[in-house]
Amino acid sequence: MNWRIRLTWWDKLLLAVVAVGAVIGLVRFATGIGTIANINNAYPWGWWVGYGIMTMIAIGGVGFTMTALVEIFGVHRYHSFLRPAVLMGLLCYTSAITMLMVELGRPWMVWMVLVSWAPTSALYEVGWCAFLYLTVLALEFAQVPFERLGWAKALCVIRFIYIPIMLLGVTLSHLHQSSLGTLMTLIPHKVNALWWSDNLPLLYLFSAMMAGPAMAILEHLAAARWLGFTPRMDLLAGLARIELWLVGLFLAFQMGDLFYRGAADAMLSPSWFAVSFWVEIGFGLVLPLALLLMPEVRQTRRGLAVACSLVIAGVLLHRLNVAVIGLRVRHWESYVPSFGEIGITLGITAAAVFAFGWLARILPIHEELPPPETSLRTETQPAVSLRGAQGIF
Amino acid sequence: MSTPSVKPKAMIQDNTRCIGCRACMVACKSWNELPEDKTDFFAGEGYQNPRDLDANNYTLITFNEIVTGAKPDWVFGRQLCMHCDHPACASACPTTALNKTELGPVVFDAARCIGCRACMQACPFLIPKYDYENLAPKIHKCTFCADRIEGGLKPACATVCPTGAISFGDRDDMVAEAKRRIAEAPGTYIPQIYGLDEVGGTSVLHLSSVPFDQIGYITGLPKTPMPDLTHRWLRATAPVFAVLYAVFGALNWIVRRRMRRQGHNGEHT
Repeated sequence: MNWRIRLTWWDKLLLAVVAVGAVIGLVRFATGIGTIANINNAYPWGWWVGYGIMTMIAIGGVGFTMTALVEIFGVHRYHSFLRPAVLMGLLCYTSAITMLMVELGRPWMVWMVLVSWAPTSALYEVGWCAFLYLTVLALEFAQVPFERLGWAKALCVIRFIYIPIMLLGVTLSHLHQSSLGTLMTLIPHKVNALWWSDNLPLLYLFSAMMAGPAMAILEHLAAARWLGFTPRMDLLAGLARIELWLVGLFLAFQMGDLFYRGAADAMLSPSWFAVSFWVEIGFGLVLPLALLLMPEVRQTRRGLAVACSLVIAGVLLHRLNVAVIGLRVRHWESYVPSFGEIGITLGITAAAVFAFGWLARILPIHEELPPPETSLRTETQPAVSLRGAQGIF
Repeated sequence: MSTPSVKPKAMIQDNTRCIGCRACMVACKSWNELPEDKTDFFAGEGYQNPRDLDANNYTLITFNEIVTGAKPDWVFGRQLCMHCDHPACASACPTTALNKTELGPVVFDAARCIGCRACMQACPFLIPKYDYENLAPKIHKCTFCADRIEGGLKPACATVCPTGAISFGDRDDMVAEAKRRIAEAPGTYIPQIYGLDEVGGTSVLHLSSVPFDQIGYITGLPKTPMPDLTHRWLRATAPVFAVLYAVFGALNWIVRRRMRRQGHNGEHT
């Protein structure tokens, strides 16, 4: 099969960003974290954890959300969203692991997590679950290249174990998506009352679920735009209705939690925290909720693109508010990420986006979609069609 | 010398007796073989130097200018690892590189560390520090001179204090001693032992003549162990895993049975 694609301007731009990130990464490994990063003794995590790990894992939740919707709740009309969702999950988790390797002080020791027994550590649970889930995602997605390569035997093996590992993946996702929130419950003295809650594990889990359909819709629109498919507007409208419910319920849960904790007056305090909170709630939840309530938004590409982008930006801002913006340490000046920190994360993100675009052009990821309007996709017909009568993946 | 007792140890840091000579800081550097720093005499608050704990400084005398009566006065405080009875740092560590030993010290094992810095994020007293400029960085913090304590010695800082501001012994005895000092001189001390029940109790007990928040201590901490905050969620991991897997499996089974009955053959629209 042919692995080569013709690079577009977008591909070249992404690769340029990857190159910049890689150079900064080299400096980090040659001279230490301190040279390029502003994380310090008071703020040991910063942007790398808030964006590179927590946000990546949250939007990577599209994998388990869409899998659960189709395979567990049996809404099979969204089956065509499954392969892109699993690939997005795989790439987001790979990005998060790559970020972790940059962020850890001693990345060569990371295997120590797998030979330790530390049930009191939220990070231990996140580490194990994310490691196992990445394996699950890789196995699930392996079907696609195997199909393309015509490896019938390998395909049989994976299809045989698909149901149990798919269930394992969805279960593990519930655990570690919430455990990322558990991490932050340990530091009520650092996280602003607007965001610190006993219920952070549930807030993290629900917001990851909320990111799922939004990412699926955005991917579908992007594939339609750049790979030239006719978008299935009927399916997108259906997903948008699900998204509407998820955003509404999350907004109710987050505000309910805030009032229940008695921290609601912090919303009105004249501080940058309150501003960031209102941006998160206003642009990340209320505005997309209002947009998605309108049928004309749910039925147009532009409307869906705007509403879903706002949801994803809202999830990003929620993670940043919890882990970076809303986190203050007494007697220390606040932390602002350095160019080096941001550059590395942009490089990793660009690599993931490029990888998605590349794989989407050489592998049968969108084959259930209607034929291209204008074909950018040329040599992508599978050598042997192995998509059998199995109702899976 | 008597055989070392296995009872947990504790230290009293009596700030009312501290004269700010910083012999404890020197002894600490000496025993732990920490490199010298080039510092600026007025880098911190007045004569306080260095400004904060860092990878080369495990303890620090803080200089606080407090107005007592009519005139301002130095009131000293001290920063060092509190060696919590239920350490948040150890509970957060994914590789058990930090451990509370029987005698009291919370010790760090660099051989297990992956450098995630969860301990730094978790510590309510902001104690663990990192050498970010190092290519193989480590967590740095007061060891309570665990090696000395095991040999029946006092921590290095406690041996050098010229005014008796640092006392060391069994925790029970130290708590009784701290209470006795407060009871005997209520005019000298505020009636609070910092560390007696902060975050569930610590192995370092601080005494002061002024409220602790005035001399830079982190106050308002819960009286319950910090790990309780995460434990209430993490203990549910195994049962939640089992229940979710079973429920999802059952739903998936129902969905597939329904599809088979409808003669669904994998064509999705």
